[in-house]
Amino acid sequence: MRENGSGNEITIKLDRVSKSFGEFTAVKELSLTVRAGRVFGLLGPNGAGKTTTIRMIVNITAPDSGTVTLFGRKIDSELQNHIGYLPEERGLYRRMKVVDQLKFFAELKNVRGKEVEAKIDDWLARVKLSEWKNKRSMELSKGMQQKIQFITSVIHDPDLLILDEPFSGLDPINVELLKEIVLDLRRAGKTIIFSTHQMEVAEKICDDICLLNRSEKIFEGSLRDIKSSFGRNSVAIRCEGGDGVLDDPALVSKLVRHSDEAQALLAAGADAQTLLRRLIDAGAMIGKFEMVEPSLNDIFITKVTEAA
Amino acid sequence: MKKFLAVVKREYVQRVRAKMFIVSTVLLPLVMSLFAVVPAIIVNIKTPPMRVAVVDQTGKLYGQLKEALNSDDANQESNANQQSGRRFGRFILQEVNATGQSVEQLRADLNQRLHDRQLEGYLILPPDFLQTGQVEFFNRIPGDLFSQGILRTALNRAVREQRLIEAKVDSKTRQGLFQPVSVQSVKVGDGGAERDSGGSFVLVFGVGFVMYLAILMYGQIVLGAIIEEKETRIAEILFSSVKPFTLMMGKLVGVSLVALTQLAIWGLAFSAFALFGAGVLASQGMPASIPSIPFSHYVYFALFFLLGYFIYATIYALVGSMVTTAQEGGQLAMPIILILVISFYLFLPVSRSPDSSFSFWVSMLPFSAPVAMLVRIVTQTPPVWQIALSLLIGFSTVFVIMWIASRVYRVGMLMYGKRASIPEAWRWARQA
Repeated sequence: MRENGSGNEITIKLDRVSKSFGEFTAVKELSLTVRAGRVFGLLGPNGAGKTTTIRMIVNITAPDSGTVTLFGRKIDSELQNHIGYLPEERGLYRRMKVVDQLKFFAELKNVRGKEVEAKIDDWLARVKLSEWKNKRSMELSKGMQQKIQFITSVIHDPDLLILDEPFSGLDPINVELLKEIVLDLRRAGKTIIFSTHQMEVAEKICDDICLLNRSEKIFEGSLRDIKSSFGRNSVAIRCEGGDGVLDDPALVSKLVRHSDEAQALLAAGADAQTLLRRLIDAGAMIGKFEMVEPSLNDIFITKVTEAA
Repeated sequence: MKKFLAVVKREYVQRVRAKMFIVSTVLLPLVMSLFAVVPAIIVNIKTPPMRVAVVDQTGKLYGQLKEALNSDDANQESNANQQSGRRFGRFILQEVNATGQSVEQLRADLNQRLHDRQLEGYLILPPDFLQTGQVEFFNRIPGDLFSQGILRTALNRAVREQRLIEAKVDSKTRQGLFQPVSVQSVKVGDGGAERDSGGSFVLVFGVGFVMYLAILMYGQIVLGAIIEEKETRIAEILFSSVKPFTLMMGKLVGVSLVALTQLAIWGLAFSAFALFGAGVLASQGMPASIPSIPFSHYVYFALFFLLGYFIYATIYALVGSMVTTAQEGGQLAMPIILILVISFYLFLPVSRSPDSSFSFWVSMLPFSAPVAMLVRIVTQTPPVWQIALSLLIGFSTVFVIMWIASRVYRVGMLMYGKRASIPEAWRWARQA
């Protein structure tokens, strides 16, 4: 339906969208733009409003106010056929054969006929589950079921794919496998919304991100932009001694210790040179001192603290 | 519409293919026929005849008694007893000559024979028996009430015959006196006199019963089917493709087609069985006929059966939309059965006065309409507009309930599987 994304075409546009359930406001005045052919990360802690936002995009629930536009049209049930959605709450019919389930989900997107069978074989081969085609889903392991669930969201070749925590509970090998598939789909011109609270995962595959916290947007833009706007104010350090220095709040606003090294986020107004000098003065033996980009996690925490 | 059909197809195919369906479809007629055949076999087990000695101090009754016990001729008055008497209560009577012996002597003698298992019991008919009607039956097996009943009936007949003889009533008059009456119910409709509304009435009862059975059996299945997507957490995936109302309607219709399939199989099996049975009866000289019922009635039977089934099935669907597990649903479904039973009993007042305004209103109320309207149709067919109105109200109710159920279902899912109280469900239905 869409041309291969040039990066400027807009797939989704939310305009001042709000949704509340009784007293509780799930999404407040949210505006965002998802460009075609890109992976858009919808990020935020649990309860930030990610799932509600997605549900409004896929037309499961309607916003109280504001508008949702997809492919330049107001969302309706026909447009649903061009969306693939893998919700966080997902499952399979336990007693149904894998192939029958996939056919059923394709039919619900108005895709039927011979080519569906070929597509199913194709996808099963891609996720390495071909020999499970005629098994009931209750016979599959949890990880296998998750891969089948993933197929249900792409079997109809959607232009927009929305994945809500797609990797939770998967082992690293399968995470890698699905990640490659997602990136392949992007290369094929699909628009992908990727919702997660795991910043490390998002960091690796998202082109653009939107940070949500407590029903509100706190940042939206390309991952590149946000990282460069933050500058390199994070330092990876491996050293012995000089303990007190890293705990000084005037220098380091946040310190994360890993097994053999630490990552320090510089406090506002402090600079790396000062920190290094102080460490040497304190008699620390320095093994590594490297300026690094802030992690998305660090950015998120900083942004949330700023907003509060 | 295509999506609706996809849901229906999945629901139907999955269920009909399931082992449970095949097993229950085959098993039920088998169990039913066992219920029919086993008692017949047991009843036909030959028991040794009961040996009874009779001391007839009246000197007149032994012959009568023997005749009464062994008579095969159709004495309609105690037909049932006579028939079973041939199976159970086969008696071998032997007269004991009482002359010259005191009652005590006789009893001692007979007790000895009882003890030696030469007899199962004995009767001593006292000389004034014809007047008093008092007699004692001494026996080894006082628990055999059935045989005693037969004996009592036979004694009754013997005594009555003897009393009539003594009143100088000749045998022809006696027979005439006991000729039973025969009552034939004739329905008088608009078209003048018609024969037989009894057959229709039995059929209404049958339709009501099958409806009741279908609701009991499939209501729970509808409930389970509605909950299925919640328990397997598929609901949200589905709702990104299909509207909740379409999904729920599809599931309801799918399960209902399964129900109809199963009922049709059973119906065919039953008809085959009945035809076979009728054949057997006919070969024994007892022709069984299918009651003559106007064709329109069959159409009404089908329509109101469907209405009754769907009204209650949708209530189960509504319950299913409110709860998160089948167990919770089972508890909430209890009142449904109560309403069902009450509406079933309404056929009594309705059949007595099918034209009353009470009958009119209960045949319009969706929950009682299926049974009440059918009773009215076979007793005193109401105007067509009333029948049509009743159907219209009923099927509209089905849609409204399903619409409410789908709203409750959707909001319940958005609320992360919270169970809805009834006021909450109502609020959800309005706001969603």
